[in-house]
Amino acid sequence: MANRTTPSAAPAEGTNRAAVAKLRNTFQAQNWILAILFFAACFAFPVLPFVEGWMASQAALIIIYIMAAQGVSILTGYTGLVTVGHGGFLAIGAYTAALLMKYTGLSIIPGMILGGLVSAVFGFALGLVFLRLAGAFMAIGTLGFAFFIGSIVNNVPIFEGRTGISLPPNTVFGFEIDDFGFYYVALATLALTTLFVYSLVRSGVGRAFKALRDSDKAAESSGVNRLLYRSLSFSISAFITGMAGALNGLIVNYVSAEVYADIWYSVDILVAAVVGGSATLFGPFVGGLFVAMVPFYLEEFADFAFILKGVVLIAVLLLAPAGVAEVVSRPVRAWRQRKLLEAGGSPELAQAQAPAARDKS
Amino acid sequence: MLGQLIMSGVATGSLYALTAVAVVVVFRNTRTINLAQGDFAMIGAFLAIVFLKALGLNYYATIALTVVCCMALGVLTERLIMRRIADADWLTLFTATLGVYYILHGVSGWIWGRDTKAFPVTFDATPVHILGTIVSEGHLVNLAWALGIGLVLFAFFRYTKQGIAMRAVTDDPETAELMGIPVRFIVMLTWAMAGFLAAFAGILTAPIIYVAPEMMDEVLIKGYVAAVFGGLYSIPGAIIGAILIGIAENLAGGYLGAHFKVSTAFVMIVVLLAFRPQGLIGIQRRREV
Repeated sequence: MANRTTPSAAPAEGTNRAAVAKLRNTFQAQNWILAILFFAACFAFPVLPFVEGWMASQAALIIIYIMAAQGVSILTGYTGLVTVGHGGFLAIGAYTAALLMKYTGLSIIPGMILGGLVSAVFGFALGLVFLRLAGAFMAIGTLGFAFFIGSIVNNVPIFEGRTGISLPPNTVFGFEIDDFGFYYVALATLALTTLFVYSLVRSGVGRAFKALRDSDKAAESSGVNRLLYRSLSFSISAFITGMAGALNGLIVNYVSAEVYADIWYSVDILVAAVVGGSATLFGPFVGGLFVAMVPFYLEEFADFAFILKGVVLIAVLLLAPAGVAEVVSRPVRAWRQRKLLEAGGSPELAQAQAPAARDKS
Repeated sequence: MLGQLIMSGVATGSLYALTAVAVVVVFRNTRTINLAQGDFAMIGAFLAIVFLKALGLNYYATIALTVVCCMALGVLTERLIMRRIADADWLTLFTATLGVYYILHGVSGWIWGRDTKAFPVTFDATPVHILGTIVSEGHLVNLAWALGIGLVLFAFFRYTKQGIAMRAVTDDPETAELMGIPVRFIVMLTWAMAGFLAAFAGILTAPIIYVAPEMMDEVLIKGYVAAVFGGLYSIPGAIIGAILIGIAENLAGGYLGAHFKVSTAFVMIVVLLAFRPQGLIGIQRRREV
């Protein structure tokens, strides 16, 4: 690369800038290629000869968890808020889609989008209601919200409680889809949400979120409207999780309070976000995979799965508090930073790539 | 009917108070929202069954032994896990207790199974006339226990060296350390106290509901709500909050219908946090929230 030949002593400003910019573009291109390869591999996965329908369903379930964790990570990772109540949004998304499909005959894609939107409205409202909360109070408040939604779907007749709402088979544009079809719908949605989160955190809105995370006072005095951006963060987060919830109901064509009144969902999603690492795009993928796979492979040993989950969670917190994804990406980032420095980038610029550490509040 | 509902509400609320006080004590000394508090109690209830049935101990010996075991569980949690991450941000602390919650759920399900069990000591529903209302004897017994524990705590915080040191750590850990208070030991003691309260919460709640890994999940949430009434800081605030929740949910159950009973506490917490995030009662203190 060009930077190898650049003399380190007082290089010309212009060439440096060009070299740094070029290097940055290279890194970005590498990221993109990796992401595209990953999704291409996922799209190709069902054509493998040994893959059966149930594997596609299982993979779709993992995707659902990844999406839900993405939703949580917007709050915990980028805005610095905590939520133990995203099971509530999962339920809102699932029930909105289920009721719409049952009573108006909508199909899966509009059902999912509307599920996400209704969930986003609730998210915005919750952001407003909990405006003044932070830290532990926020955790308890959101937990209360999840329980509240749970007791509503359990007790209000239209949600049919533990009997549950059974749905007709899924269709896309009038065609009935099987497990593989569903997998593709889920995967396409995941690709879109990932792209969305990617652009979000690089946009002005995303920077406002991060500013609020790093210091809400400083952010406010620089003109970030805390009320607006907090609620926005909540609603975007709820939107993605709500869509995941809708898919989660549609995958089995059945939505019941048995599942959605359970606080486990909220907790599992939070675990996915924390284990994977919240402030990275990659984190939710690791975390979602973890929480979706553990119960599956240990179905007969549910209790053992619990223990394993607890032990892994604590181990991650003790050994890699920033999440598993961070452990993987740290060396890569360090290497890239060194390259940037060698190319003559200023240390501050190179630093700016690293996510800020969470503060202790 | 009103008086009756209120009386039994107070009795139920006093059991929530055991959890609420434990939540407050742990939070204000360690910044940890302890999700495992309910599971300490759940383990306590299972152990009590073992002591009563397998070992054939009497009720009071069972209580004593369960208290010891639960305190050990609290101390173990602190020593093995929480101490190592004591300086981390609070989300890390919180998720670590979530890990403990998973482990305890898994262990209890593994050892004792998932099915709900009846507690060998049954809830005494004999009606007792008191203050013009009719209350079950079991409620009165629970109330008496809660009152007794409350007095023990009061005396501990007021008169013992450790209790006073504990309050000092709450107020200002750095200064407390400089004054020669062994902060680490006090933090351990805090977790032991969480275990102590959990043992009673488990043994007294079990006869009313059942014994199963998830038995305390809802009680725990109500304990949180109550703790928030005291701004997660004030013990009297948490106790009052717990009793208010007990009364409110009993009234909701009595007048609006049984399925409103469960959601009362959650409505209360959302409303409370929306309007008075610093808590209703207690010292208005801006900590590093």
